[in-house]
Amino acid sequence: MLTNYGYIGLFLIAVVLFTLFMVIIPIALRFLKIVPHNPNPIKNSTFECGMETIGRTWVQFNFHYYFYALIFLALDVLVVFLYPWAVNLRALGFASFVAVIILVAIILVGYVYAWKKKVLEWK
Amino acid sequence: MNLALFIPEITLLVIAAIVILLDLFIEQKRWLAQVSISGLVIAGGVTIAMWGGSYPAIFNNMLAVDNFAIFFKMLFLGIAFLVILSSTDYVSKFSKFQGEYYALVLLATLGMMLMAATTNLIAIYIALELTSISLYALVGFLKDKKSTEASLKYLLLGAVASAVLLYGMALIFGFTGKTQLGEIAQVIQSLPPMTLLASPGLLLGIVLLVAGFGFKIAAVPFQMWVPDVYEGAPTPITAYLSVASKAAGFAVILRVFFSAFGLPVWLSLNWGLIFAALAAISMTVGNIIAIPQANIKRMLGYSSIAQAGYLMVGLAAMGMASAENILGQSGVLFFLASYAFTNMGAFIAIIAISNKLNSDLIEDYSGMGKRAPLLALALTLCLISLIGMPPAAGFMAKFYIFNAAIQNGLLWLVIIAVINSVVSAYYYLRVVKVMWLGEAASAEKVPSSGALRLALLLCCIGVLLLGVIPGYAIRLAQLAANIFAY
Amino acid sequence: MVIGLQHYLILSAILFSIGLYGVLAKRNAVIILMCIELMLNAVNITLVAFSRYVVPAMLTGQVFAIFVIVVAAAEAAVGLAIILAIYRGFEDIDVSKIDLLKW
Repeated sequence: MLTNYGYIGLFLIAVVLFTLFMVIIPIALRFLKIVPHNPNPIKNSTFECGMETIGRTWVQFNFHYYFYALIFLALDVLVVFLYPWAVNLRALGFASFVAVIILVAIILVGYVYAWKKKVLEWK
Repeated sequence: MNLALFIPEITLLVIAAIVILLDLFIEQKRWLAQVSISGLVIAGGVTIAMWGGSYPAIFNNMLAVDNFAIFFKMLFLGIAFLVILSSTDYVSKFSKFQGEYYALVLLATLGMMLMAATTNLIAIYIALELTSISLYALVGFLKDKKSTEASLKYLLLGAVASAVLLYGMALIFGFTGKTQLGEIAQVIQSLPPMTLLASPGLLLGIVLLVAGFGFKIAAVPFQMWVPDVYEGAPTPITAYLSVASKAAGFAVILRVFFSAFGLPVWLSLNWGLIFAALAAISMTVGNIIAIPQANIKRMLGYSSIAQAGYLMVGLAAMGMASAENILGQSGVLFFLASYAFTNMGAFIAIIAISNKLNSDLIEDYSGMGKRAPLLALALTLCLISLIGMPPAAGFMAKFYIFNAAIQNGLLWLVIIAVINSVVSAYYYLRVVKVMWLGEAASAEKVPSSGALRLALLLCCIGVLLLGVIPGYAIRLAQLAANIFAY
Repeated sequence: MVIGLQHYLILSAILFSIGLYGVLAKRNAVIILMCIELMLNAVNITLVAFSRYVVPAMLTGQVFAIFVIVVAAAEAAVGLAIILAIYRGFEDIDVSKIDLLKW
């Protein structure tokens, strides 16, 4: 039994050595002048296709998009379950129909909530 | 399939939906707490009526309806009842979102009830996430900086822990080809020991499961989130987290490790040893870091880590035990019940006091014995119970669980645990000393509402009952743990 | 070369490790959340691969994966909501700057 833990210990040592090795390699290569290091402005510019960005790339989106995404997500997740059920509708029978109705009802509570909280109104 | 056995869960779900909808359509918000409490009472009544019967598992063997599950369901419903009672004042801090608050508490309770009942890896994962996601939202409910920060930390660490847990489940599924706990046990027992040893996948899966569940029960080294979340969260939710979430974690661990990995013996000896080591580290780390804390919620956070350590002594005893010895399991159940009353009581007293003081610092509790004698007395009783001194419940719980450990040859662990209990007395008694011997900053009385007083009274009665006449509760715990006798 | 079970397992282990590395090393809360999604999806690959090769007649692993996807979506939704709340309070989502609570 203890030998098994010994193997785990060996693995641990190997992992630590490997990690250290991976960290040291690039530093060592840089130190030995094998990796060239001559930065220039063009090399350092953000690599993106199209035009150069003006201002920060992290643009703020309107807060409302988040609510819409959330409402969509609820529907999206519902469909994940509806699809396998719909494909096998005949074989699954009436009990599964009831189960799906309950599922839809639960999601519906969420939609009523969103509606009453005026999330669906775009101001 | 008999849907009648599922009525408690259905009730909670329906009541949660009703609370959300009611919140949208009525002006009188105080009805929400009453509706939630009535839902809990109905669910609790049905659950109690089911105690003692032997029912078949429901939903294609996904959910067991045995005494073990019913014991935990009663525990969770009781805790949720106390939490909602103690929240009735506190919700004024987020009065716009009362409906969501109560609904989320109910849904978290539903998740925990499912956690205690599931016998299938898929269902365990879903129940665990239902609990966790509700709790992530609840922790951030105050919407101030500390609360949101606590919530973010809890979410990120919790999500990583659940991913690790899931990876463990996937490995176990891959090794056995089953997700049903009983079937996993059959596959494992049918294999020759050499095959088991030669395939590290299963062992790695078990270790990852320990890590994932260890996060839920706040065992060292998976405890990083505990103090921050406990300090930042709304106090009723802190109480809920420290008691119910931990109990749910232990319920899952007991069921998974016993039904799936209970045999062969060398396997259970192995995970028993893991839990013994975790127990020793948890109590030591929790108790030592708790000593210098100045914030009482944070101190109780570290104390709950230490208590998880004592509880894991029971798990270790269970791993070491022979087939028909269920002392370890029933010890854990009894400890959880007494810990629930004790810690809920302590937190309810803190809610009442900090409602007035607007502070959780221990030094501000100075002179509480004069300003609010009853609250201070209740808090003292709960702290004494946390130390494990008679006549409080904590004494019987520790006595029972340490006894189980000694009988299964874990004397060294019990010695560590007893030393730890002595250390812990220092920081618990410091609060008591500040409250009774310190100078009061003002002579103003500390008011508390009827609901809070009722909740506190129930907790104190529970602590004393379990401490003075524990026989009945121990009998209940043994009956519940009986499903684990082979 | 025939693609077998072990290739899928190695792929998913690598993805899981990349996700874990990202969680530990990145400081932007949104990126951490994305890394957690990566970990969950790595597990999904494991589940489906095991299901395909170990119990080909059953769909246990696939069903499990569907549930994981749904739970991951819910977790991401709650996570983004919390990050929005953080941004309102701290004006930043760099987790190294969110440090009010510490011992």
